[in-house]
Amino acid sequence: MIRLQSLTRLALAAAFAALPLRAQEGGQEGSTGGGEEAAQAPTDDSDARWFAIQGGDIYTGTGAVLRGATLLAKNGRIHAIGYDLDVPPEAKTLDARGYRLYPGLVAISSQGLLGNASGDFRDTIDPFHFRMVLGLATGITTTGVGSSVVKLKRFSVKDAVINERVFSTFAWSNNNPRGKSELRDKFAAAARYQREYREWQRKVKEQKDLPEPSKRGIDNNVLAVLNGDTTAKFSTNDRDELLGVARLAQEYGFRPVVEGCQEGWTIADELGRAGVRAVVTPRARRTKDERQVFDGGSSIENAAILHRAGVPVAITPATEGVDLGGLVGRDIMHLPLEPGFAVRGGLPERAALESITLQPARYLGVSHRVGSLEVGKDCDVIVTDGDVLHYKTFVQWAVVDGKVVYDKEKELFFAHIRPRPEAEAPRKIDAGETPPKPEAEDGEGEGEKKDDAGGDERRGDDEPK
Amino acid sequence: MRVQRIRASTLLALLAASAVVPCAAAQRGGPPAAPVGRPPLAGEVGGPGLAIRAKKVLAVPDEGQQVHDNAVILVREGLIEAVGPARTTTIPADYEVLDASDRWVCPGFIDLHAHVGGTFDINEMVYLVNPGLRVSSSVVPSNPALERGVAAGVTTILFIPGSGVNVGGQGVLMKTALKRYEDAVVRDPGSMKLAQAGNPEGWTVGVGRSFMNWNTRWMFRRGLLYAKRWEDHERNGGPQPRHEFDLEIFRWLARKDTQISTHTQIFQVVLSTLTMVRKELGLDVYIDHGEMAGYKLAPLAQELGVNAILGPRVIEVPTRQFINWTGSNPEAILGIAAEYQKGGLKRIGFNTDSPVIPQEELFLQASTGARYGFDDSNVDTVRGLTIVPAITAGIADKVGSIEPGKEADLLILTGDPIDPRTSVEKVLIEGQRVYDTASMKRRY
Repeated sequence: MIRLQSLTRLALAAAFAALPLRAQEGGQEGSTGGGEEAAQAPTDDSDARWFAIQGGDIYTGTGAVLRGATLLAKNGRIHAIGYDLDVPPEAKTLDARGYRLYPGLVAISSQGLLGNASGDFRDTIDPFHFRMVLGLATGITTTGVGSSVVKLKRFSVKDAVINERVFSTFAWSNNNPRGKSELRDKFAAAARYQREYREWQRKVKEQKDLPEPSKRGIDNNVLAVLNGDTTAKFSTNDRDELLGVARLAQEYGFRPVVEGCQEGWTIADELGRAGVRAVVTPRARRTKDERQVFDGGSSIENAAILHRAGVPVAITPATEGVDLGGLVGRDIMHLPLEPGFAVRGGLPERAALESITLQPARYLGVSHRVGSLEVGKDCDVIVTDGDVLHYKTFVQWAVVDGKVVYDKEKELFFAHIRPRPEAEAPRKIDAGETPPKPEAEDGEGEGEKKDDAGGDERRGDDEPK
Repeated sequence: MRVQRIRASTLLALLAASAVVPCAAAQRGGPPAAPVGRPPLAGEVGGPGLAIRAKKVLAVPDEGQQVHDNAVILVREGLIEAVGPARTTTIPADYEVLDASDRWVCPGFIDLHAHVGGTFDINEMVYLVNPGLRVSSSVVPSNPALERGVAAGVTTILFIPGSGVNVGGQGVLMKTALKRYEDAVVRDPGSMKLAQAGNPEGWTVGVGRSFMNWNTRWMFRRGLLYAKRWEDHERNGGPQPRHEFDLEIFRWLARKDTQISTHTQIFQVVLSTLTMVRKELGLDVYIDHGEMAGYKLAPLAQELGVNAILGPRVIEVPTRQFINWTGSNPEAILGIAAEYQKGGLKRIGFNTDSPVIPQEELFLQASTGARYGFDDSNVDTVRGLTIVPAITAGIADKVGSIEPGKEADLLILTGDPIDPRTSVEKVLIEGQRVYDTASMKRRY
């Protein structure tokens, strides 16, 4: 069935591609990626694309919760969040009463969500692929892929890539002492060059013929890290290696992203002082090297201890691909489960939510667009039937750039699991025929019924933690 | 010479003993164990009584009230003495009080499919059927994998052979945190492991399902005839039957003193579990794994009283690999436990097949079961980790719920036992505080 469906979709894709117009993209699609001008042109709203999600509890991802509020998007960006908003009559609306809104999740890294699991995504991206649907069903609306950042813009690849060349990857391993000293030398040389270059920049104004310092032998990646043009990424779990990375970072003043970090809890203060940013898998396991006198091995408290020491924590599952073999809970389809294990170890719930939203967005350099629900950011929202970190919660709708791109009831994957009480009524997204009534007290019968029937299915804050 | 004589006499003694006790090396766990190497604390054997105040007690007896709010549990000599509402349960004056009045308490979890109870040499593949082999000889009590399991609430496991051949041998039911084997063992044989299809197909040159079914049936019939001969002898006297040590397990099976735990999945294979092992041979059997359209047999399983202990797979997904192999081609992503439940099966439990799923993630098998549609409005998730496997393994008189007379295998938790965010703060096994985050290094 899945295959059939995706094939059908591919056929549709081909059909759409053949159309000369961008009509199927819906109006002002181009403006979402178009930078500031769209946001600063409020004068003519006649062809603006409005979208409102009404009546849900809005968890902004920055700590605030607005119960029964409305989120209004214009041309794919969040225009306003609050109560008694002036929703234009032509706006498309989504009734989210009884549900929760969260920022779309950000996977720091994933495989296969953009189509084929192998190969460069630029060659293989397939916005109709069932794994993209599964990604959206998980709540993921943005993902890191290698050094790029891509939005799960289903049905479209236009402006899907929102950042590139984010990371430069370096190795720092106890097994390769020569590699360590070489990297150290590269940083020393690049830092020297940087100083010489700045000095030359200062002096060249008076001394026109002063030769520019030679860049020979300078590692461009290292220089880019020092110039802040890229982020240095390391991958290590070992205490000594982590300390080495931290000292390098502190000495040369950059903030590395370190994947793994399993023994980070033993030296959290050092990592915090050095400005290390961690990507952890709370459940990952590592036995202590018994020859080591210090604390070691993995700890379920790792994320919490790092967080307390001021180390930002992003969380990634054990497997970054989609596992369809039947074993569950460890792959990218269960991304929101993983921070639960960090909470188990003491990480505050808010930091746990940030670990799969705002923190990865920051690491990926896209936090000005995604990772939280704030005015001016992209309207990438998930609407859930409960706490996003709860094991039973399902994403009901996923919204990317102000458009519903996933509706649980309309996809074959999970529609049968705890179907929405009102799902039979074809009402959810209307084209704006009926004037929207945000925070309607009386409801229209339908909404009332839904609230009653769905009352015990919703999971609130009083749910055991 | 002297050595030889001793050996001969020992052998004679063993034979003599086995004439009296049907299976000399097999054993049933005795009364709760006393702590080793330290004086007993409250609730332990030899210590004073222990009263636990709890915000919520998930008692999960087979029948009756499942949940008590604001409750008290009394523990004495390693056994549960009473459980009831705080306002009506009197705490005797000499009992030590453990105040967990903002915590939840539930029975220790039971995993009926674990391979991490000791060394990993549990997959002998010389013969296709090995009813006499025992994994009890591979047990390493309280090993690191089990210690992590304890820290996540797993207090009892069935340590079983692998599924490389049709009958891999006998499993052993054991407590996870008691340090001496004789204390840890709950029952040996804990089960006889049968693997009906799948992995055994790779045995030596490869065997097909018809031969495997024939060969298994042949061994089972031979074993049951052997058990019958002994039963007749014990009932009516007459000449003593010859001992066949590889068939002794069938005397346990015939008496329903142990079960057959069956590696079974795929519709036709689960069908043969139900029709051959249960209906035709009349053995106490349960579905272990049960994936890949096995759920379509839930009504028959319920009719025949066969429980299902599901895992390590939690969902069925239409993928080429499985469609080609098993024919299972669901039209959506199906929760396996949910489908058994919809089919009317009442007793559904969860397993890890550790290390396939780490031992400490047993609870997550239940939570993901619930995620994919398993209805837990009657705490069936927690039941599937406690009372259901206890009944299934025939040890519900000792463990699996918080009821007077049962062993005090208790978890003290910060909340819902199957929420990953909940932490297990204390674990009691037979009243012994085997894990306590207040005084020990946090393990999970």
